[in-house]
Amino acid sequence: MITTGSKFLYGLGTATTVAAILWFIANDGGSIGVVALAFLAVALFFIGAIASFVRDGHVLSTETEAHASSNAAQRGVGRSWFPFGTAFATGMVAVGLVSSPGIFKVGICLQFAMLGEWLIKNWSDRASSNPAYNEKVRSWVVHPLEIPVGGSLLLAVIVLSFSRIMLSISKESGPIVFAIAGALVLFVGSMISVRRGASRRIVGALAGVVLVALSGAGIALALDGERHELTVAAEEDHFAHRPCGEEAEEADEDAGRAVSAKSSVAATVILRDGRLFAEMDGWAGELSAITLQRSNPSNILFINEDDHEHRMVVTYGMITEDLGGGVSKDTVLEACTSLIGKGGTQAVSVVIPKPSFASEEPYSITVPGVEGASIEIQVP
Amino acid sequence: MKSSRRWSTAIKSTLAVSALTFLAGCAKDAPQDTWQPAGPNAEKIDNLQRPVFYVAGIVGVIVFAAVAWVIFRYRDRGQALPEQTHGKPALEITLTVIPVLILIGVGVPTVGTIFDLAKTSDTEMTINVTGQQWWWEYDYPAVGDNADVYGISEPIVTSGQLVIPEDTKVLLRVTSRDVIHSYWIPKLNGKKDGVPGRVHLLRLEGSEPGIYAGQCTEFCGLSHAYMRMETVVLSKTDYAAWVANQLEPYASPSADNALAVEGEKLFLQQCARCHQVNGLLNPDGTPNIAAPDQYVVSGAAPNLTNLMTRNTFAGASWDLLTPECRDDVWNASSAEFGAKYLAGVSEDCLNQKDLREWLRNAPEKKPMYADPTKLTETGGKYRGMPALGLTEDQINAIVAYLLERK
Repeated sequence: MITTGSKFLYGLGTATTVAAILWFIANDGGSIGVVALAFLAVALFFIGAIASFVRDGHVLSTETEAHASSNAAQRGVGRSWFPFGTAFATGMVAVGLVSSPGIFKVGICLQFAMLGEWLIKNWSDRASSNPAYNEKVRSWVVHPLEIPVGGSLLLAVIVLSFSRIMLSISKESGPIVFAIAGALVLFVGSMISVRRGASRRIVGALAGVVLVALSGAGIALALDGERHELTVAAEEDHFAHRPCGEEAEEADEDAGRAVSAKSSVAATVILRDGRLFAEMDGWAGELSAITLQRSNPSNILFINEDDHEHRMVVTYGMITEDLGGGVSKDTVLEACTSLIGKGGTQAVSVVIPKPSFASEEPYSITVPGVEGASIEIQVP
Repeated sequence: MKSSRRWSTAIKSTLAVSALTFLAGCAKDAPQDTWQPAGPNAEKIDNLQRPVFYVAGIVGVIVFAAVAWVIFRYRDRGQALPEQTHGKPALEITLTVIPVLILIGVGVPTVGTIFDLAKTSDTEMTINVTGQQWWWEYDYPAVGDNADVYGISEPIVTSGQLVIPEDTKVLLRVTSRDVIHSYWIPKLNGKKDGVPGRVHLLRLEGSEPGIYAGQCTEFCGLSHAYMRMETVVLSKTDYAAWVANQLEPYASPSADNALAVEGEKLFLQQCARCHQVNGLLNPDGTPNIAAPDQYVVSGAAPNLTNLMTRNTFAGASWDLLTPECRDDVWNASSAEFGAKYLAGVSEDCLNQKDLREWLRNAPEKKPMYADPTKLTETGGKYRGMPALGLTEDQINAIVAYLLERK
């Protein structure tokens, strides 16, 4: 017997099957979408068959007493705030549509979450006539989703707040704050773990206070803005390739402070007492010419031991682009560090595609503003 | 009866396997034998590995014999379970102290050897070694002692065969352009990985002129087995001659050799996009600059300027010399070796078969992911040499041209 509920499921299953066929035709076969839709169709037909078998769980309409006491006839228990949440999410979607894609996406996600929670809450409220059991049923279904999602959101709030704090405070204070925060977490965590009788309420309250303080500080410092150097870097388009002149403060996209780059340097270039020289594994002493392998990532580390700020510039030829119509554009291939002060180090990674003899100008490492500071680069 | 026959079969099988294993160690032509060092670095390793091998061998024999005796002596014959005891401090301490002493005995010289092999302060020559799928490139920078002492006034780039002077502490700066490879010439030193973005140092020194074979020892993809290398040790005089020859300016084929002239044109059209020949000019008179970075994943292809001064091609997988000529070079005495190697590859000695097969369809000879229909993952770039679809006439011309690359 095809019941009302199963009819819906069979219909949905059929529609999904048709969708799978259309998908198959539209995508020349072999698409993962066909497999997903086919599985969905099988699942829907299966659930439909179960609904048919149990006759949608209906009791006969003539049995009025049984009907009145059936699960489905029970009133929902407690007040639900999900309608409010859904309405709020819908508002976000509307606002996001005219203002920001980000708000729109968050609104959509929130809407799905609210509707899902609402659906399950309503279903579980009618699971039996026992409210305690119904609540347990709800938690069985939604906790495997709520807990990880909630945990991830909480973690995101912590990371975001902490990152805002670290981006606002000075570079010198950063490591100190980080070390103190880490030590505090370790200490408090250790204390809680060794105290067997620690009250869950107290621990929860403590965590709550820390979370509120952290997120409050994060919001406040985010509104205050990032530290000066970062603001300048953002305004000057820090990560775009910029002319490696004497004065520009910004770094080049190829410059990096990554530990990995510093751990394996092809050459170390040092500016000391107005002299520029290089040191390389495999070559003894101070070098005025270095060799780098072609088409191979090479990290060059610059150490500034001069009293003034300087940058290192690596120049390795020129490319000529044919722009069509007999017009061509020459671009000098170069990479540079940002200006760094005395004792500062910064690495630049370069991949030099052509040998030195391909260029009329020799490949070189220079320091703008320091006369005669030049190292030849040989690329065989 | 059945039991004794079974025992007899087992013993015979064991003896046969043991004998085969033993005899396998008697291979006559074993160019990658770690037990035949040909330089001080390899000798240091040999001096370490021999005593360790003997000690480990003796310990191994004792352990196996003891286990076998216990298994046989105390096999289950239905006897009563012997008395079970727990702990025997004197025995346990002895069995702990003896291995500790053995390990100390092995560990101290091992650490010493490792430090010895890592020493670079007395380097006399430095060469860059770059691995890529599936060949090694060697470049000799014209920097420091390379230029001042060994006359390398311009960088020299070669592949397949690394040429070094005898009794010279050569330092290799090993890296890779694509995946991890490992450089190993067993008779000259241990192995060193070539890792993209990193430079690892490896010392090589050969005591006697000759050719020493090696093999990439880090699985690096489809043709890993074809990624071979050879190190050629020349006397200092011969080495100077080799350097001088490598630095000779390019000479186009003479007009008398029409086939080679045609080959030069074809080379420019078909090969020079990836393969550099120093000094080769484009038809408009500008220097030809190969651009393997545009066509090959690794961004490199072998420099063919002096191809015929080498004995191998295609990642040292095939010989450029015929078997007879190859044997003549490989088996030459130390005194004669340099002259025979420096003679390069003559027309009579050229291994036409393999070279022509290579030019005809390189991926068929050495698998290299070079199917043009399957290059979407690499942005259209090859991992090796593609099939160029050359006609036999074109192959004749290119071979004639390559024969002049000495």
